Amino acid sequence: MSLITKTPEQWVNSHFGPGESENFMFSRLQDLITWGRKNSVWPFNFGLSCCYVEMATSLTSTYDVARFGSEVIRGTPREADVMVIAGTVFIKMAPIVKRLYEQMMEPKWVISMGSCANSGGMYDIYSVVQGVDKILPVDLYISGCPPRPEAFMEGLLLLRESIGRERRPITWLGGSQTVEKPVPLSMRKIKGEARKAATTYDEPNRM
Amino acid sequence: MADGVIEQLKLSFANAILAEQTTHDRIPTLWIKADEIEKVLAHLKQIPAPFSMLYDLTAIDETEREHRSEQPACDLSVVYHLLSMERNQDIRLKVALDDKHLNISTVTGLFKNASWYEREVFDMFGVNFFGHPCLKRLLMPQSWQGHPLRKTHPARATEMGSYQLSVDKEQAEQDLLQFKPEEWGLKSSNGDQEYMFLNLGPQHPGTHGVLRIILQLYGEEINDSVLDIGFHHRGAEKMGERQNWHSYIPYTDRIDYLGGVMNNLAYLLAVEQLAGIEVPERAQTIRVMMCELFRIASHLVWYGTFAQDIGSLSPVFYMFNDREQIFRIVEGITGGRMHPSWFRIGGVAHDLPAGWEKSILDFTGGFLKNLKDYDRLVMENSIFKSRTVGIGAYSHAEALEWGVTGAGLRATGSDWDLRKKRPYSGYQNYNFDVPTAKNGDCYDRGLVRIEEMRQSVRIIEQCVKSMPKGPIKSNHPLTTPPNKEQTLKHIETMIQHFLNVSWGPIMPAGESFFGIEATKGSNGYYLVSDGTNRSYRTRIRTPSFPHLQMVPLLSRGTTISDLMAILGSIDFVLADLDR
Repeated sequence: MSLITKTPEQWVNSHFGPGESENFMFSRLQDLITWGRKNSVWPFNFGLSCCYVEMATSLTSTYDVARFGSEVIRGTPREADVMVIAGTVFIKMAPIVKRLYEQMMEPKWVISMGSCANSGGMYDIYSVVQGVDKILPVDLYISGCPPRPEAFMEGLLLLRESIGRERRPITWLGGSQTVEKPVPLSMRKIKGEARKAATTYDEPNRM
Repeated sequence: MADGVIEQLKLSFANAILAEQTTHDRIPTLWIKADEIEKVLAHLKQIPAPFSMLYDLTAIDETEREHRSEQPACDLSVVYHLLSMERNQDIRLKVALDDKHLNISTVTGLFKNASWYEREVFDMFGVNFFGHPCLKRLLMPQSWQGHPLRKTHPARATEMGSYQLSVDKEQAEQDLLQFKPEEWGLKSSNGDQEYMFLNLGPQHPGTHGVLRIILQLYGEEINDSVLDIGFHHRGAEKMGERQNWHSYIPYTDRIDYLGGVMNNLAYLLAVEQLAGIEVPERAQTIRVMMCELFRIASHLVWYGTFAQDIGSLSPVFYMFNDREQIFRIVEGITGGRMHPSWFRIGGVAHDLPAGWEKSILDFTGGFLKNLKDYDRLVMENSIFKSRTVGIGAYSHAEALEWGVTGAGLRATGSDWDLRKKRPYSGYQNYNFDVPTAKNGDCYDRGLVRIEEMRQSVRIIEQCVKSMPKGPIKSNHPLTTPPNKEQTLKHIETMIQHFLNVSWGPIMPAGESFFGIEATKGSNGYYLVSDGTNRSYRTRIRTPSFPHLQMVPLLSRGTTISDLMAILGSIDFVLADLDR
């Protein structure tokens, strides 16, 4: 015999009168947790170079990243959810970047912001690691040198969406014990056609 | 007056001088015997109207240089660049060294700021400065092999094999970063009581980037401190030896990454001096206007973050809004935001777009009003004052001793501003004042910068009112990219255009230094050309480097909260420090 004899709606309606039952919202625990996670992605207050200035600019009122729940920058890696590698990864800095990443609590994500962090960018030079993915797993890459605040925020939104589709174990008592991440998107595939179709540009002679 | 010094030197040190070299920048350049350099420097420092500032100290790997007439044979030369503000005169002394004897005596006893410069030369070239109190690598990790600015050292990361960071290697590097006071010349106790050592950075929100400071604390008080830098070393100088004269421009934007096109200007003035290019008036005025916009943008970042360092969280939001307005103008004119790379050899990339005047005047009018609000919000705030007045003060003499320029120097009463003292790009044509202050403390450095923003507005408005008509690019053949109009009329101009655009222009051999009043102080490029399409050696003299070297002096006897105010008031950028 099943213990559950009523649907959640029936249960609410039998216990509460009209007007009161609208105060309830139903969700699966998994969905509720991911909803919470994706709407409060707190970045680690960590910057390497120029890109960090654009990342910080996205916090200020013109851009206002608070709209997406990511204005709470944390000074310690233990309280942060996402580490934005904003700038050049120097060989002298790499062991420290790695250590800071290791100090973050699961679940954690990494955004590689700007050409230097993506691949070394302009700096194929003796003191620079050719991309932060040489030392850390990266969830999302943002192109630009430096990317504008809008580009950073687009990246953040994409990461949020991806976090919302992640499935992580809820309890060790049952269910899947592995982290299921969605297949990473390719912006080239999604936007490529539209980009190719853009053949007229604003004239540089007018502001 | 300049010749007087040289004549005098030739008389007093006839045996010490090996050669006299002519350079494109007309800075008197003398080759001195290695064992006499200390005496000559000491002499120049104590003559009437002395050369009291060690403006720069660097080296050149001479092994592959072909055009070396007037220069003694050597494998490496160490270059001392002195500045006398009283004379408004520079002098450059060079010492020839042989690869087998890369030894020279330190000048840290004469100039306090020589310490980091010598460590940098040791790190980058392997020159051993005997007598140096703490000669160890400055920019590269202590585990590094080789000296990057030697011609034999690989330039590219991709030449050196893929970077791997194994668990063991990470641990080994972390172990090397452990602070051992003795290695840095610090004691771990004063006899009665042990000091506490506190590690601040390289990851700390108060250091404005990857800077590491180790504090030797006696209770709450900072007894001494050590700066460990080089976490932001991007090899910009070595990069200059690989990029052609034109394609190096974007790298300059990223030196003082808040200064944008201001960096282009310092570099291009040195290149144009080398090539003998006269920049047309319109291009000069556009350059000045863009530079002053970036000066305001950079000072706004300083203003907001300085207030934030001291615990005032809201000002930065206002200031970044103004900065966004500037970026809207910059974007409309150049197409870029932080790093437009928009100046070109001989001019600028593009003419001004229609409607530029209005966008600038709309900004400047509102901005002056906002500045008044910010004064009330920040500078007149009693908490802010109690945190900054009398904190981190230094005298004019100390400023000279440590190589301080820019607002930090002008806060000590000096009116040294290269825009007035050695006008470039037509700065002599503008009415503006050089703001100064007296006390040289954190508050006064702030006052100077804020007034500078008002003066920049004045300059920008004059640029708008008197923007000359005419070309935006010089007609000189080395202008890059050259004017296109005539290429279809003669084959010579066609060839010149093709070569300048594909290989880059060939600059005449020689040496050229040009310093400008940048956002953070005196920024200059010292370029050595060997008559090819790229620089033989690019030396970037940045203001943040000497300014930060002063931090241990300023923080002694203060508390950690004062240190945050001091760091904020210096206004440095990590890429400007480590390059």
